[in-house]
Amino acid sequence: MLEMRSQPAQSAPRDTTPLVEINNVAKTYETVDGADVVALEPTRLTVEEGEFVSIVGPSGCGKTTLLNLLGGLLEPSEGEILFDGRPIRGPIRDIGMVFQRPVLLPWRKVIDNVMLPVEVMKLPDAAASRQTALDLLKMVGLAGFERSYPKELSGGMQQRAAIARALVYDSRLLLMDEPFAALDAMTREEMNMELLRIWRETGKAIVFVTHNIPEAALLSDRVVVMTPRPGKIREIIEVDLARPRSLSLMGDQRFGEIVDRIRSLLGLGDGDNPQPRGERSQ
Amino acid sequence: MTTMTENIAKRRKRPTRRRQAFTEAGYRTASLIGALLIWELLVWYSDVPVYFIPAPSDIGEALWRGADLYANHYFITLGRTVSAFVIAILVGITMGTLVNEIRLVNRTVYPILVSMQSMPKIALAPVVIVWFGFGSLSKIVLGAFAAFFPIYLNTMHGLKTMDSEQLALMRSLGATRWQTFWKVKLPSALPFLLAGANIGIIYATLAVIVGEFIGANSGMGFLIINQSNQLDTAGVFANILILSATGLCFHYGIHYLREKIIFWN
Repeated sequence: MLEMRSQPAQSAPRDTTPLVEINNVAKTYETVDGADVVALEPTRLTVEEGEFVSIVGPSGCGKTTLLNLLGGLLEPSEGEILFDGRPIRGPIRDIGMVFQRPVLLPWRKVIDNVMLPVEVMKLPDAAASRQTALDLLKMVGLAGFERSYPKELSGGMQQRAAIARALVYDSRLLLMDEPFAALDAMTREEMNMELLRIWRETGKAIVFVTHNIPEAALLSDRVVVMTPRPGKIREIIEVDLARPRSLSLMGDQRFGEIVDRIRSLLGLGDGDNPQPRGERSQ
Repeated sequence: MTTMTENIAKRRKRPTRRRQAFTEAGYRTASLIGALLIWELLVWYSDVPVYFIPAPSDIGEALWRGADLYANHYFITLGRTVSAFVIAILVGITMGTLVNEIRLVNRTVYPILVSMQSMPKIALAPVVIVWFGFGSLSKIVLGAFAAFFPIYLNTMHGLKTMDSEQLALMRSLGATRWQTFWKVKLPSALPFLLAGANIGIIYATLAVIVGEFIGANSGMGFLIINQSNQLDTAGVFANILILSATGLCFHYGIHYLREKIIFWN
């Protein structure tokens, strides 16, 4: 990352502290009939400032659980998650979330949807935030649609608006839960490139859940491969491909090797089994 | 090329649709006029006395003759109905919200309301008149009571039927319950709320008229009973015609509001 968010001087002694530290976090759900279901086995993972980490794995491997734990929407059954050295005990301003669906409020114009976090968090300078929101909409390619209603936008455009909404309060970490799963393949690739550009421009750390293996390899610095229920980390793959990356990278030999490696870790054959288990058909 | 064909398609489509709507309205008017005509002829060519079934022309005449009388009583009934409805809206939405949002209210008030739900509210009319007298108050109480339930139930139902992802979004932003309620829950519940209002206004009208049947010295219900006692069946029908027209206005009024308020659906 070239342009990192400017760090306050006093944070210098904590330089070795990762942005996120997941310490032996486990999550167990209780079912209706009282049985315990382990969604996530004790897990350790760190995310550095400005890093792009993907989490891949079959359905029910605890990816979303892990993300919701990070976002403070769930409480760990065991262990704790430190954000910038402080434990997460609920949603915090420094973490933004993008969901699988855009989840725009249909009665609000696009700009008002992007401004929702500003209103909810009661950020001090509303006028400046509005300008930020407008700039963000421009950045995600929605200039001219500020006053449209969500239903007037395509699925891809709605997801762009949702990304702008997650960026408007300038969090340091962005959690994305299969944000492009509902998009068609072409829009998806386009959005991947957009996301890389946004990531480069904003310098935020991103934790990106997907079950699309090439997508994970294309975007990430590291890919966390998880095993099916009960979920735990199988292996973490470093993606040592040069940046900036483009779609043509997908023809690269090294890229292919990384994708194959992830596939085999997930227990998928190469070629004979093109549809990974749990992959949403498009 | 494609834009040209599209343009042509658009230009052609518009008048067709308008003409279609026009034809629809034409059919509707024609069938209505036809039915009235058949009714009129049947009454004329049969020996049915006018106090048994009046012809449409008799009803029209009764309406014309008693215009002042009808207007007088009509506005009294309308005033009672609208008052009852407004009260039911205010109380119904408040109670629906409180029962849904506040656990203590849910535990204490909800069982009472559930047990009252199945009660035929109109059956209370005689008692309500004993309690609140022959004037407007008893009718308003009865109307509000009848209209309250559909509005309250729909509010509660609407607030329960939430998009869980929208709620998760609000939680991820650290929203307070108050913020979540105003920014997400209430707007989402609006379609249900208006559906409740639509039923509520019908119940309010019904209850007010029944109240006027049972004990009143004014209002459309009072007038209907009087006319009926005097075998002025044409007058009764004239009354019913006015009430039906009012009901239709209420219905389309709420429909219009729905289109305006819930534009996103």
